[in-house]
Amino acid sequence: MACSALYRQSKLGQSLVDALDQLVEEGKLPPQLALRVLDEYDQVVLDALENKVTAKGTLKGHLDIYRYCDNVWTFIVSDATFRLAPTQNSPRRDEQEVKVDQCKIVVVDQRLAPNADKE
Amino acid sequence: MATDAGASNAVVPAAEPEVDLTIHPSGIVPQLQNVVATVNLECKLDLKNIALHARNAEYNPKRFAAVIMRIREPKSTALIFHSGKMVCTGTKSEQEARTASRKYAKILQKLGYAVSFKEFKIQNMVGSCDVKFPIRLEGLASTHAMFCSYEPELFPGLIYRMADPKIVLLIFVSGKVVLTGAKKREDIYRAFENIYPVLQTFRKGGMIAAPEAPAALPAPQQQQQALPVVGAPAPHL
Repeated sequence: MACSALYRQSKLGQSLVDALDQLVEEGKLPPQLALRVLDEYDQVVLDALENKVTAKGTLKGHLDIYRYCDNVWTFIVSDATFRLAPTQNSPRRDEQEVKVDQCKIVVVDQRLAPNADKE
Repeated sequence: MATDAGASNAVVPAAEPEVDLTIHPSGIVPQLQNVVATVNLECKLDLKNIALHARNAEYNPKRFAAVIMRIREPKSTALIFHSGKMVCTGTKSEQEARTASRKYAKILQKLGYAVSFKEFKIQNMVGSCDVKFPIRLEGLASTHAMFCSYEPELFPGLIYRMADPKIVLLIFVSGKVVLTGAKKREDIYRAFENIYPVLQTFRKGGMIAAPEAPAALPAPQQQQQALPVVGAPAPHL
């Protein structure tokens, strides 16, 4: 999958895909337009994450396994703690903490995303 | 191992290991800090396949044409090349270097490569120790100019290239010494025993400087008088 389409797997992306699928099935939307919408979504998500998000997160844990191949880092972290600081203009003031026994993190180099698209 | 050492230190700080004074007349044993070894696995390797299937591997052919792999025990890093040659670094002894290299070979074997284990060789060893007294590097540099390079503006340590054994020593004002370039542990020990008496003669405020001090007692007084004159242009103005 192209790097820029990664965010279609997020909750927001999945919901959009489901909604578009339904519209296409019902014949209310031509498939080309649905694809066009998804392309637009990919662009907007990348832009928003890069320029509009002020929230910060930190991750602490024990790195069990790492791998770097084809410009993709994979980390398997155990006893991980995610701390999510609220965004600047969010009503929430407290820091959220999420703990997991084990998690897998896949990191793609954003700068390579356009190239990956062409390939 | 580390916890054991810590525990024993905490209980009995005086219980230091016996030093064999026939090998270490100085009573100081340089500790090995790094051992670099190479081995030939005599088997062409598909690096991308290795990077994808082995744990703790990095492969970025644009940057470096080898897979970088690490293991935790013995803590070490291996560079694995397409040709089947491998470099293992980061271990603290010859034995560790060998067991680590064998473990890497085993990992590759499990990935389905018909590896052998040939031409294992220690390429470099680095040791370090502390003589526990400060050293006059300028004095050492001028009397042993043949072997020394001391450029404090470039690097704060004195670089001493010993001819026999062929070892390079980095000597610091603090008394810390790093020895590198050895193929054998004995070379590091010999090099340190060669340099130790020399360092003692260049001890800061040490044996040479101490006897001179009483005879030169008037000198500091002169200096003290001279200093205000040098630093006092005010009366003229």
